[in-house]
Amino acid sequence: MTKLKAPILRSNNICYSYDNSNEIILKDISFQLFAGESLGILGPNGGGKSTLMKLIAGLLTPTAGELYYEHKLFTKDSKFPYSLLAYVPQSSELNTILPVNVFEFLKIAAKSQILKNIESRINELLILVNMSHKKSSLLNQLSGGEKQRVLIARALLHSPKLILLDEPMKGLDSSGQDQLQAILKDIQSAHQTAIVMVDHNITQLIKSCDKILCLNKTSHWHNNKELLTKNILEDIYHCEFEHLLIHEKESIPNHTFCNHDHKENNQHKHTFIMRKK
Amino acid sequence: MTTLFSSLSDFIHYEFLIYALLGSLLLSITCGIISPLLIARKNAFIGSAISHSTLLGLSIALSLFQAQQNLYIFLFTLTITLLCTLFLARSTFKEHLPTDSMIGIFYTSTMALGILIHSLFAKNKGDLLNFLFGNILLLNPEDMLLSLALLVLTIFIIFIPFYKWLYLTFDEEGAITSGINAKLYHYFFFILLTLIIVTSIKLAGTILIETFLLIPGFFSLKFAKNIKQTFIYSILFSSIFAFIGLIIANAYGLPSGATLAVVQFSALLLSILLKIVYDLTLRGNHEIS
Repeated sequence: MTKLKAPILRSNNICYSYDNSNEIILKDISFQLFAGESLGILGPNGGGKSTLMKLIAGLLTPTAGELYYEHKLFTKDSKFPYSLLAYVPQSSELNTILPVNVFEFLKIAAKSQILKNIESRINELLILVNMSHKKSSLLNQLSGGEKQRVLIARALLHSPKLILLDEPMKGLDSSGQDQLQAILKDIQSAHQTAIVMVDHNITQLIKSCDKILCLNKTSHWHNNKELLTKNILEDIYHCEFEHLLIHEKESIPNHTFCNHDHKENNQHKHTFIMRKK
Repeated sequence: MTTLFSSLSDFIHYEFLIYALLGSLLLSITCGIISPLLIARKNAFIGSAISHSTLLGLSIALSLFQAQQNLYIFLFTLTITLLCTLFLARSTFKEHLPTDSMIGIFYTSTMALGILIHSLFAKNKGDLLNFLFGNILLLNPEDMLLSLALLVLTIFIIFIPFYKWLYLTFDEEGAITSGINAKLYHYFFFILLTLIIVTSIKLAGTILIETFLLIPGFFSLKFAKNIKQTFIYSILFSSIFAFIGLIIANAYGLPSGATLAVVQFSALLLSILLKIVYDLTLRGNHEIS
């Protein structure tokens, strides 16, 4: 009998709503991610993508449901598995008031995590993200794409098994996006690192991720990207896409459609959604 | 110029001036250490809120003790201000409402309450104006020891986990996900800031202390090219101009806190102007060549 490999991350019906608020931000979100896989999280603004990312990163705690990291349940009382994952914020969130060059910036991150062999590791990572020529440049003089690559290098310092990226393509031109995608693919294949990525660029995300999670608060769809259809996206986004480049399928075998308000609905009739004409 | 030289010799002859000099140097080094972090962490307004809220503690302390009971007044002011600061720290850590609104409400309300308490219960025990602008010549040996202890504490709190402070400054959420307890550091920073502000009341008063907390850091962040330079420039700027300010204040019989603040501001302004001139000259030379 073959032993099944444990997923790096498993979400079991997690819910989230802010304190003192009745508004449900996320409801019953379930998915799992194995080593070397990538999950793209899509959805409209305010749909809960960043909230889900922060829940996974341990920045927020779910109000209900369970999160398992390598089969271990994370609860309020247990120690968060910081060494397992790394969170990459949007490059625009980086505070560059203090003058620091790229190498020094990575050294500070490594030293605050008490890592060993810092210098060789940093040089190795700067080569990986194609930033070794900028190691002496000040952080506040880098472009958005360059900052993003430095942040990815920082995330890789402690060799995490899971990397969380919040809108990494934001503000990048198409060549910058392709370059970043190539770097992420390298990381994924070289170390079997699992990747969770939130982005607004639907085409790019579908192209680069193995699995897709479409999210709009209480509704979500999660499966392999081959099963994603234009209809599903339109249902989640509450609008029609005219020029979307995804493979459209007539039937959707074995897919998981999670609309908790309309579970009785036929999976192919997404009547709950108001379409913008 | 003769007045300035004779002012310098006064510092050798008069004990109270030596205390003033040493006390201001110790406090200016402490302010120089924390100043770049205060600006980079975007907490400048919080410093202002804490310094204004000291008036509440001072008013209550003056209502309860005699103006001569320095230590009791200091300890009581510190306790009340620390309580206010902890409330402020709690209200500004990852709140949905903009933190600046909370800070604005906090510092005007505590200041107003302080003025009311003083006017009702402590009007005959000293003018609040003295505490608003400070008088460094009132520093005594106890104040010097206190300033020295504060400097050691600041070095300990800032430089031992220095990399963690920097990581939190660059990207708080990234730091949290790497296992750094951001909330603990947030509270530590607020408490340290309160200790510095309350201890510096005699140096610069509750209003002018902001100058000492902001100008050195602003100067260093304007000119430094790396982290090490940032902190060295800030400490040097703060201590050198505190010394010059004190000499000028003594030479011309000026209020010490205000003189120190004006000297620091003038030095900042002059350095910025010199940099503009230098940059223009450099550009001109490049265009010619």
